[in-house]
Amino acid sequence: MQHVMFFLFAIITLGAAIMVVTTRNLLRSALWLILVFFGIAGIFVLLNAEFLAVVQILVYVGAIATLIIFAVMLTRQVMDPKQPRFNDQARVVAGFATLLFVVLAVIVTRVAWPVAIGAAPVDAIQQLGMDFVGPYAVPFEVASVLLVVAMIGAIIIAREHE
Amino acid sequence: MTFPTLNLPVISPQIVLVVAALVILIADLVIVQKRILGWISLVAALGALATVFTYRPASPAFQNMALADGLGLFTTAAVLIAAALALLLSVERVADFTRHAGAYYALILLATAGMTALTIASDFMTIFVAIEILSLALYVLSGFNRRDARSSEAALKYFLLGAFASGFLLYGIALIYGATGTTNLAAIAQGIAPLSVSLPFAPLLPLGVGLLLVGLGFKVALVPFHMWTPDVYQGAPTPVTAFMSVGTKTASFAALIRVLAALGSHDRPWLLALAGLAVLTMTLGNLAALRQTSLKRMLAYSSIAHAGYIVTGLAAGNPRGAEGALYYLLAYTFMNLGAFAVLLAVQRREENDVSVERLHGLAARQPVLAVLMALFMFSLAGIPPLAGFFAKLYVFSGAVEAGLAWLAIVGVINSAIGAYYYLRVTVAMFMSEPAADAAEAPKPGWPVMATIAIAALATLLLGIWQFPWMQSIIQAVSTLALR
Repeated sequence: MQHVMFFLFAIITLGAAIMVVTTRNLLRSALWLILVFFGIAGIFVLLNAEFLAVVQILVYVGAIATLIIFAVMLTRQVMDPKQPRFNDQARVVAGFATLLFVVLAVIVTRVAWPVAIGAAPVDAIQQLGMDFVGPYAVPFEVASVLLVVAMIGAIIIAREHE
Repeated sequence: MTFPTLNLPVISPQIVLVVAALVILIADLVIVQKRILGWISLVAALGALATVFTYRPASPAFQNMALADGLGLFTTAAVLIAAALALLLSVERVADFTRHAGAYYALILLATAGMTALTIASDFMTIFVAIEILSLALYVLSGFNRRDARSSEAALKYFLLGAFASGFLLYGIALIYGATGTTNLAAIAQGIAPLSVSLPFAPLLPLGVGLLLVGLGFKVALVPFHMWTPDVYQGAPTPVTAFMSVGTKTASFAALIRVLAALGSHDRPWLLALAGLAVLTMTLGNLAALRQTSLKRMLAYSSIAHAGYIVTGLAAGNPRGAEGALYYLLAYTFMNLGAFAVLLAVQRREENDVSVERLHGLAARQPVLAVLMALFMFSLAGIPPLAGFFAKLYVFSGAVEAGLAWLAIVGVINSAIGAYYYLRVTVAMFMSEPAADAAEAPKPGWPVMATIAIAALATLLLGIWQFPWMQSIIQAVSTLALR
């Protein structure tokens, strides 16, 4: 049953991902991307990571995909389907992308990944919360500085032309 | 439950910088005389520097997330010096390119906070967040000149490629985590040998380090990840270029040295990759710099070449090479920032770049400026007894000590190529007639001249009076576990 569910989610994710890059209409690409995010959330659930699944939907579907759709709708030129799809560097890029894919595929399939034995902790979310204020307090707090930087930057970029 | 013990003095420079940035943002609303904000930010950078000097190297803090050891403190001090000089440089000319001086100073301070956090980061989590802080701040800063289309282009280019490079960095970190089971550098250093043997087919670690090198190589502008450098250095406002060219390098190289030291007990196939990157970076940087007429582009390619020299020290993989790299970073901070400061002094208010022709006959018009520029050029070219010479000497001797004599020879040949374009600038200043359209630039005020004078003095002092610097560098490297 788990395997069937996994293949279902994998097909949804990959199929939608292919649609994202092949669709000519950027808005449709963005909508397909939402389906990709849902598929990944499903895989998180299968891995007993319910919290990550919820965060995946809340953050990626709720915030990031919405943001992308807004960005697409606010910029007119990128919506033109008559824009050329490839430029003269497409072949070089395709070569490097294939190379990277082959290397990563070999790694993922050949490595004997160290797998943790035992059931997933029941109170995973509580543990996660404790870690944020415990061992990972510094990266957690520093990430808030990152958000301040992003906010100042966004305001500066979006301000009126001088 | 137990709360972790807090060791706040470890991150006191960062606290000072972030608080000052927030104070400036608020003060921006009430203070009309924006120059005051510049002085506040300068005081904050110097205050953060003071906390570094009052602090002694200590044991890991925040459960191994940060480590203010000799390496961290030395590079933090170098970044803060760069920030202070860049702020001093900005006070006078920031009004030339923006009305939003408050946000500008705040972002410089936040970028500095990110850089200093990177120098003491001892966990991949902290490293990644710190890199993102400094990158985001610099993306915005390079686009700060809204009157110049090239500035916006620089910001966009830097942002798109930078986001792409962050992806590589993150992938590398993920693979290293997969190979070692931890993101913590101290734990990796302890546990790397047994774990890497237990994997039957274990290319994970080299591949992870390789992707990490792509990500960090982008930040320090190694060939072939350097494409953005000339455009961004040229398009960004000159004080920003001066700051980012030295600060980012120091912080990213500090992180790279720390990561490589943690991975030191392995058989280190990546040292060869580093040597290859060094050859490519030195050669392409110098050859491309030969053909530039824009001085900012020339210094951009020169900064690529210098990144190559520094990598030579890391490729050696021994303490001598790391010491050379650290000395190089400090020397480079002063000489490169000084050179950009001179460019700012001769550029007109509405300009954002200077061509070589503009410097023709500078010695007749502004002799002091010409002499100091010549000093920076000589130091960048590596002429004794200036800091640039000893920097090259130390990294190359590190390479020779590691049995990489060929790498040192390539480096020396490259220094000779580099000398040509640095000396060309000097010749232009002293022996050429001024161009017909050499309209006077505004006379540089005392903050710009003070920046140039401090940088020149330090370039000279680092060369002829090395004891205190070398002592702290040797102490910094000795605590790293380099073979």
